[in-house]
Amino acid sequence: MSTSEQNSDHRIKLSEIDQSMKWPALFFIISATLWLLAGTALGLISSYKMHDPNFLGNWEWLTFGRTRSAHLNAVMYGWCNNAIFAVGLWIMARLCRTEIRHLGLLIVAGVFWNIAVTIGIGGIFIGDMTSVEWLEMPTYITPLLAIAYALIGVWGIIAFRYRQSEHIYISQWYILGALFWFPWIYSVAQIMILFEPARGTVQSLTNWWFAHNVLGLWLTPMALAAAYYFIPKVIGRPIHSYYLSILGFWTLALFYNWAGVHHIVGGPVPAWVISSGIVASVMMVIPVIVTAINHHMTAIGHFRQVIESPTLRFVVFGAMSYTLVSFIGSTMSLRSVSEISHFTHLTVGHAHHGVYAFFTMIMFGSIYFILPRLLYREWPSKFLITCHFWFAALGITIMIVTLHVGGWIQGLEMNNPEIPFIEVMKGTVPWLKARTISGFFLAIAHIAFAINVFWIVFFRQGQEDVVGTPTLFSSKQAR
Amino acid sequence: MDWYSYIIIGFILAGLFFASALYAFHWASKNGQFHELEKGASSIFDDEEPLGKQTDFFPGHK
Repeated sequence: MSTSEQNSDHRIKLSEIDQSMKWPALFFIISATLWLLAGTALGLISSYKMHDPNFLGNWEWLTFGRTRSAHLNAVMYGWCNNAIFAVGLWIMARLCRTEIRHLGLLIVAGVFWNIAVTIGIGGIFIGDMTSVEWLEMPTYITPLLAIAYALIGVWGIIAFRYRQSEHIYISQWYILGALFWFPWIYSVAQIMILFEPARGTVQSLTNWWFAHNVLGLWLTPMALAAAYYFIPKVIGRPIHSYYLSILGFWTLALFYNWAGVHHIVGGPVPAWVISSGIVASVMMVIPVIVTAINHHMTAIGHFRQVIESPTLRFVVFGAMSYTLVSFIGSTMSLRSVSEISHFTHLTVGHAHHGVYAFFTMIMFGSIYFILPRLLYREWPSKFLITCHFWFAALGITIMIVTLHVGGWIQGLEMNNPEIPFIEVMKGTVPWLKARTISGFFLAIAHIAFAINVFWIVFFRQGQEDVVGTPTLFSSKQAR
Repeated sequence: MDWYSYIIIGFILAGLFFASALYAFHWASKNGQFHELEKGASSIFDDEEPLGKQTDFFPGHK
C-alpha cells in the first residue's frame, strides 16, 4: 500500500524508537504505578474517614484534611504526571519518527520530579500545606517541581523540533499543546495565588481557572492524544474523520481555557465573568461531540477487536467516559444546576469521573500497549488484566453513580430550609459507605495492575519467546 | 494590587494565551497541515504496524 511504501524509507523504525525510549518510559511507568498504589491507599483512608471520622484520628498527620490533600497530590502529580511523561513522550517520539536524545538527562529530571513530589506530599503530612486546592504542596518545593517539569517537557518539544515526519498527526497537536499549556497555567497560578497573591476573590478565580485547566488543558489533551493514537492503531484502521479531529483540537484550544470559572457560580465575582465561563463550558459541547463521533465511528463494527485487546478495552471505556463526563460537566456549569450540585459530593464524583473513568483508564490501556514493546515480552497474566479491567470498571461506575445520586439528593436537601443541616449530613452516610466499597474495588484493580507491571519488568523467566507465539505484536518479524 | 489591576493582568494573560493559539493555527495553515487530511490520518501506519492489521491482543490469543 502506498502509505507504507512511503514510510519504509531512511527513517528510523518504530521498534528502534521503542528501544530508544525504553529506560525513561520504564522509569516513568514504574514511578507512576508506585504513586498509584500510594494514592489509592490515601484515597481509601480519606473515604473511610468520611463515614467514620475516628478512624486513624489519633495521628495529626493522618487527619482528614491532610490525607485527602495527600491523596489528590499523589494521584495528580505522582500518578497522572508520571503516566503522561511515559505515554505522552513515547507517542510523541513515535509520531515524530525520531529518537529522543540525551536520555540520561530525561531520567535525572524524572528522578528530581519524583523527589519533589515526595517532599511536597511529606510537607502536606507535616502540616506545611497551602490552602489552595490542587496546589497544596508547600511553596518551598515549587521551584524544584518547575525545573524538573521544564527539563521533562522540553524533550517533547525537542523531539517535535527534530521530527522526521512531514505530517503533524492529531495526537502530536494535543501533546504539544499540553506540554506548552501546563507550565503556563501552573506558573500563573503559583504567582497569582502564592508568590504575589492577588487579593480576595481574584485568588479563587485564578484557583479555579487553574484547577479546571489542569484537567482540561493537561490531562484531557494527553488522554485524547493517546485515544487518537491507540484506537486507530490497534484496530488497524485510520480515524473516521480526520477533519473532525482537527476541528476538535482547535475548538478545545480556544474554549477550554475560559471554562474554569463556572466553579464559582454564585460566588462574589461579577456576573459577566461567570457568564463567560458558562458560555465557554457549553461551547465545549462542540469538541466533545466531534471527538465522540470520531471515536465511535472508528470503533464501530470492530467490537470483537475491542474485546480482544486489553489496550482497546481500557481506551474505549475512557473515550466513552469522556463524552459522558463532558456533557455532565457542561450541564453542571448552568446556574440552575450548579445551585444544587455545588458544595455536594456530586462535584467529587464528577472529578473522579474525569480523572479516573476518562484519563486513568486511557493511561492503563496505553501502558498495556507500550510495556511489551519496550521489553519484548508478553504480559505474564491474562487473568490479572481481566481482573484489573473489571474491578476498575465496576469500581469507578459504583463510585460515580453513588456520588452523583447521593450528591444530588444532598444538594436538594441543603436547599430546603425545613431540613436541619445535620440530617442532610446523616443522609449522605450510606452513599459515602458505598463509595468506600467502590474504593476497595479500585484498590483490587490497582494491585492486579501493579503485580502484572512488576512481573513483566522484573521477572523474565518463561516470557522470552515473543516470536512464534500469538502476541501483542502485529507482525512476528517485527524485531 | 487592587482588583482591577489583577483583572487587567488576567485579561492580558488570557489574551496572550488566545493569541498563541491563533498563531499556532495560522502557522499550521501556512505550513500545509490542513491539506490532504485523509493521508495524514494514515500516517500512523507503516511496514511494522500496517493498515488493516490489529496490533494488540490478550496474551495467548490465537
